[in-house]
Amino acid sequence: MLQIENITKTYGTFRALDNVSLSVRPGTVFGLIGPNGAGKSTLIRIINHIIAPDSGRLLFDGRPMTDADVEQIGYLPEERGLYKKMRVGDQAVYLARLKGLDKGEAERRLHEWFRRFDIDDWWNRRVEELSKGMQQKVQFVVTVLHAPRLLIFDEPFSGFDPVNADLLKREMLRLKAQGATIIFSTHNMASAEELCDDIVLINRSQVVLSGSLPALLAAHPGKGLERIFIDTVTQNH
Amino acid sequence: MSKTLLVIQREYLTRVRKPSFWILTIVVPILIAGLYAIPIVLASKPIEHANVLVADETGLFESEFRSVREVTYLGAGSLDFAKRQMEQSDTIDAIVYVPRTETMLPTNAYLYYRSDLPSVAVQTDVEAQLQEILRNRILIDIHGITPDEYAMLTSTRMTLRTQDIETGRDGFLKVKMAVGGLLALLVFMAVFLFSSQVMRGVMEEKSSRIVEVIVSSVKPFQLMMGKVVGIGLVGLTQFVLWVMLSGAALGGLRLAHADLFDQALKNRNLTEIATKGSDATAQMAAAQLDEARYQAGEGADKSVLELIEGLSSINFGLLAALFLFYFVVGYLLYASLFAAVGSLVDSETDSQQFTIPVTIPLVLCILLMPAMIQEPSGTLSVWLSVIPFTSPVAMLLRIPFGVKIGQLVLSMVLLLAAFPCCIWAASKIYRNGILHYGRKLTWKDLAHFLKVRK
Repeated sequence: MLQIENITKTYGTFRALDNVSLSVRPGTVFGLIGPNGAGKSTLIRIINHIIAPDSGRLLFDGRPMTDADVEQIGYLPEERGLYKKMRVGDQAVYLARLKGLDKGEAERRLHEWFRRFDIDDWWNRRVEELSKGMQQKVQFVVTVLHAPRLLIFDEPFSGFDPVNADLLKREMLRLKAQGATIIFSTHNMASAEELCDDIVLINRSQVVLSGSLPALLAAHPGKGLERIFIDTVTQNH
Repeated sequence: MSKTLLVIQREYLTRVRKPSFWILTIVVPILIAGLYAIPIVLASKPIEHANVLVADETGLFESEFRSVREVTYLGAGSLDFAKRQMEQSDTIDAIVYVPRTETMLPTNAYLYYRSDLPSVAVQTDVEAQLQEILRNRILIDIHGITPDEYAMLTSTRMTLRTQDIETGRDGFLKVKMAVGGLLALLVFMAVFLFSSQVMRGVMEEKSSRIVEVIVSSVKPFQLMMGKVVGIGLVGLTQFVLWVMLSGAALGGLRLAHADLFDQALKNRNLTEIATKGSDATAQMAAAQLDEARYQAGEGADKSVLELIEGLSSINFGLLAALFLFYFVVGYLLYASLFAAVGSLVDSETDSQQFTIPVTIPLVLCILLMPAMIQEPSGTLSVWLSVIPFTSPVAMLLRIPFGVKIGQLVLSMVLLLAAFPCCIWAASKIYRNGILHYGRKLTWKDLAHFLKVRK
């Protein structure tokens, strides 16, 4: 689905990504883990064509990725928010239209999702009247609304209570079952272990560990993902 | 619908729906109508009348006071008598008292009043009459000038009028100063107002963290230009509404005070005949014009007439077209810079560091406005009206006075050339700035942003 080949990105003298390569298999949940500042967000921004790498290339479905392919991505950034003064419905329709849906279709799908997430009554409210959890729900819906083939969730559970986090997990697995590929970046090793098929650990701008989750766990007998993470990162220092 | 159009639509609609937009839209035409209405109201205000007793111990003045529209003068003989009169009667408003002097001419007089200070008009008239009577006395009694000669001496009247030797148009310097100053201020405020809205909009997107969601769907350049254009269209909408509403307000005033406007228009036509027609008709028209102006000059209507006459001598069509040009291009230039500034900061208080350098050219223009108005074709004015960052304000200030076509073209070309450069630099800074959180950015980062490829 997505191949990343030898990507390097520097900011001034700081090297944010150093020759990073990885491959995301279609129809899987791909876990992107690593300490703060490791370069995960930079990598995700490069995949979304928000910033360009200094060198290296991205392949989408086996061919070089173009701007048009970005339309196939649904991206929930770690730094996320909504226009506070806008009404929930207007805003969701606006964001959906920016993703290429027409107005009627956007409204139809939004009402369907909003009903499922139990937030349809909030359609005409201003965003600032919503609780943080509800805003997160709206953001999640807007991310997946245009039925993208590749979903990128950066810390999707931050700000969710356990009940809603569980709802979100179920939705993610449902989308996967429908054929979507998911890149999932998190610090929460329990949820990574629960959801991921493959894992890549990035530390200090480089890939230090990668492989399928069962294989990783088998290679480190008696350790959970969290222990593997901590050991690898501390050794690496 | 293209993504940029979607951004433009959102920026436009969210602003036009705000009550503050409509309040501003209505307030400005009221101010403009006020500019016309105030002199008219002043001129047509009912005259307050006062009765003033004259108690003159010198015997020079009492019989010479002439009652005018505002004041009726009544002889009272002694001050004591006058005081008693005032106590007994409510109709007496004040007493002019000139005390006796032994050897020299009187230099002081007093205006006594009870509780209500007589109006400025009354005070002015009393003082003017006192001076005139005294001068009259000196000329006639001491220097032996006859009353006829005296009348001639005091009836002289010279008004300085400026006129372009080629077009024959009246200079109306004061009116042009007012219009030029107003235009410059208006374009300054409009550019500043709408550009800072762009900055606040960018900061809102950054601080609410929605920007990364948006730039995953649209290019940062599309988002920036969508915002700049959308808010610019809000400005244009407001401008068009201002013109329409001001037009309606002025039309109303014109109907209500048709006589003044008619006289002003007649005078302007006479001016044109006087300067363009054949000798005979020109002389006749000039004479008529002088007569009309002289008569107007008798009353307080003179300044009103001159204002209206002056305003109608200005080519408002050209003025509006140039205003539109300088507003639009000047706005695009500054709005893109303000967008860049907005992308660099997290909160409005932090923005000072970067907004100050961006606003200096505009503020400089406003500070130098008095100097430019004094010499609209001087070196300073010409330079400022050609340099792109100051030209929107400086050129509009000069336009009512007339600008050489070469300078105007140069100014417009330079401005048109500068704005893509600004947008290019701004978009580079913006693209990097919007996704930068945490550490406060410095000028060094800025230089780096300009170098980054993407």
